[in-house]
Amino acid sequence: MGAELAQVTSLLSRQDEARPLSGGGALSDAGPLSDAGPLPGDSVVPGAGVLPVLPALRELLPRGLQRGSVVATEDWALLCLALAAGTSNAGSWCAIAGLPDLGVAAAADAGLDPDRLLLIAEPGAAWPQVVASLLDGCDLVLLRPPSRPSAQVRRRVEAVTRRHGGVLVVVGDWAGAQCRLTVAHREWTGIGAGHGRLRARRAQVVVEGRGAAARPRAQWLWLPGPDGTAAVVAGDIGALVIGEPASAAWALAGGCWPCGARTGCPASRTLARRRGHSSRW
Amino acid sequence: MVRPGTCAIGVTGPARYFGGEEALARKITDAVAALGLACRAGVADGLFAAQLAARASADRAANGAADQAPGGPAGRVPDRAGQPWVIVASGGTPAFLAPYPVTALDVPELTDLLPRLGIWTLGDFARLPAAEAANRFGLPGARAHRLARGLDPRPLAPRQPAADLSVHAEFDPPAGQAEPVVFVAKALAEQMHAGLASRGLACVRVQVQVTCEDGQDITRLWRHDGLLSALAVAERVRWQLDGWRASQDARRGEPGSKDPGAPRWGPGRGDADDGVPAGGIIRLRLIPDQLVRDEGRQLGLWGDAVISDRVARAAARVQAMLGHEAVTRPVLAGGRDPAEQVTLVPFGDSRPPLRPAGRPWPGRIPAPAPATVYPVPLAALVTDDSGDAVAVTGRAVVSAPPARLSVAGGPWLTVTAWAGPWPVTERWWAPASTRRRARFQLVTEDGNAWLAAVQDGQWLIEASYD
Repeated sequence: MGAELAQVTSLLSRQDEARPLSGGGALSDAGPLSDAGPLPGDSVVPGAGVLPVLPALRELLPRGLQRGSVVATEDWALLCLALAAGTSNAGSWCAIAGLPDLGVAAAADAGLDPDRLLLIAEPGAAWPQVVASLLDGCDLVLLRPPSRPSAQVRRRVEAVTRRHGGVLVVVGDWAGAQCRLTVAHREWTGIGAGHGRLRARRAQVVVEGRGAAARPRAQWLWLPGPDGTAAVVAGDIGALVIGEPASAAWALAGGCWPCGARTGCPASRTLARRRGHSSRW
Repeated sequence: MVRPGTCAIGVTGPARYFGGEEALARKITDAVAALGLACRAGVADGLFAAQLAARASADRAANGAADQAPGGPAGRVPDRAGQPWVIVASGGTPAFLAPYPVTALDVPELTDLLPRLGIWTLGDFARLPAAEAANRFGLPGARAHRLARGLDPRPLAPRQPAADLSVHAEFDPPAGQAEPVVFVAKALAEQMHAGLASRGLACVRVQVQVTCEDGQDITRLWRHDGLLSALAVAERVRWQLDGWRASQDARRGEPGSKDPGAPRWGPGRGDADDGVPAGGIIRLRLIPDQLVRDEGRQLGLWGDAVISDRVARAAARVQAMLGHEAVTRPVLAGGRDPAEQVTLVPFGDSRPPLRPAGRPWPGRIPAPAPATVYPVPLAALVTDDSGDAVAVTGRAVVSAPPARLSVAGGPWLTVTAWAGPWPVTERWWAPASTRRRARFQLVTEDGNAWLAAVQDGQWLIEASYD
């Protein structure tokens, strides 16, 4: 969407430069528009050659995701989702194949637009053909191969990716990947021994690549942050300050779950009697 | 057609054509009697009086063609006995109705009340001023008053039967392969689209009905919205046949059929031996459903979540490979647990989520959402330090802090942090979908976090936060 606006704006400004005395306004006599590059609907992502990534991942992947490349990640759903979120944010379609247990709510929180998402839970034995078809329509395909691909299948899929100019994010191992993301350390915050709840996780993400990017780069990220998106960890561990939402009050151990009172709530006693809550869970 | 067993027709035109109301009544009763059915006819001004007249003729026949019908109203009718019809002369309807008791109105609240006010017959009721009747008895009273005066509560509304826009093709000999059926489906779809277009209509859905030789019907509705081409309809016929074949194979318990290239409904394939009747396809029928005026489609200029042709083509190709249900689009829904919060809709269909999103859902799992949600929860074991299973009491108190976790029979992991229990009882009013769970968040030594639940004393892993 933003990209379309940008292109249209640039078209208009180009016309204005071409005819400074035309008085503006008249679009119909501004000359043919077709030679001014691809139509807004054709390529949704600006800057041919790369797909954008989330701001949090820019230090790790300064050039974004190279079109036509294969990126491998560890079997770690949230990292793949964060990788794909930048592309989806930019208005492209994404497809996710072979992840039947994907949490779509987490994907939406991470920044993937569910309106521009195709899910193929079980691509089956013909997954290379499925991936080829998907790459024709979507800019980014997230794939967990149902079976370990042979070298021949791998080369064929890489060739298809290059031809269509998409990006293939593989969950798991992929020998020919341009870069590979792994998680070295991770730790959850906000939860203790019997109190609190999961708030956010600090994860040290390491990128290893080939060629110019051969030197591994590492960075600490909030993955997920308190609102579900990825963010760069700034400063100390204690830098994250989160308010206690009211709706989570009942979640504290030992409280009454309908109203959140610590003790002596009449609702819990009544409910317990009426619904047989005296039995074990 | 008023209701089963009763048919009403306007007689003014037909009576003139057939030479009088009596001749018409004779013609109709003779025609129905020739079918071997008993038939009575009544002609009067208005449907209500005509029905009473028909009933009067029936009563008279039941009483052995006696001249005196019960209640005596038939005595006033200028009619001969022994005939299965009663004709009330034009303008004579109020007089015909007058002797009937008010119970004939079939309005329970009025037929109770009117006799207590001293109004016993329809004639008495009709003598009341219409405005007073409406004042005292309301809308049902006004309607009943019109009936009693021999008027219709509303005029008869004749309508033209709708044109049949469905198209069908017969296969003789029965088609044993999918290809000829799909080929014919394309031609049929073109024919159906032409029929719709000539009337300026579009259909929201199209019903594809395939009839097999053994009488079995394979019927399914496909979303159309006036957008599908003939080829796309034919493609849906193919998916329907493929899906049916897959379900047949699954029922047989042999997922890989002996000859994957050939469809299973082919005649002469020796299918009778395993008990499933099989035969070729004898009829294909396309029925347009929910006709609407074709107003074309105007796409939004900016920001519409329009599915571009490129994406639609890619999705259609994958659907052709894996089946219609294999390509889905997620729709966020409401719910307390993560699995409920999404509905997967096959690409090309539109289905609103069962539970709408954006409602409060008290007691739902707080953010962040888990990244892996198991469609079927995994069984798990959770023990405390001494190795005893951890339980939750009825007052939602944990028997001991969880110390170790084993997911689906896997290795034991030490629990480094935990929170809970968060009990929730859902839909206790619906026994089929009721659920009573106490949820926990567990963090294990490998840095993974789990969403666990205790239900009926069993530990389940619902989701993983990785």
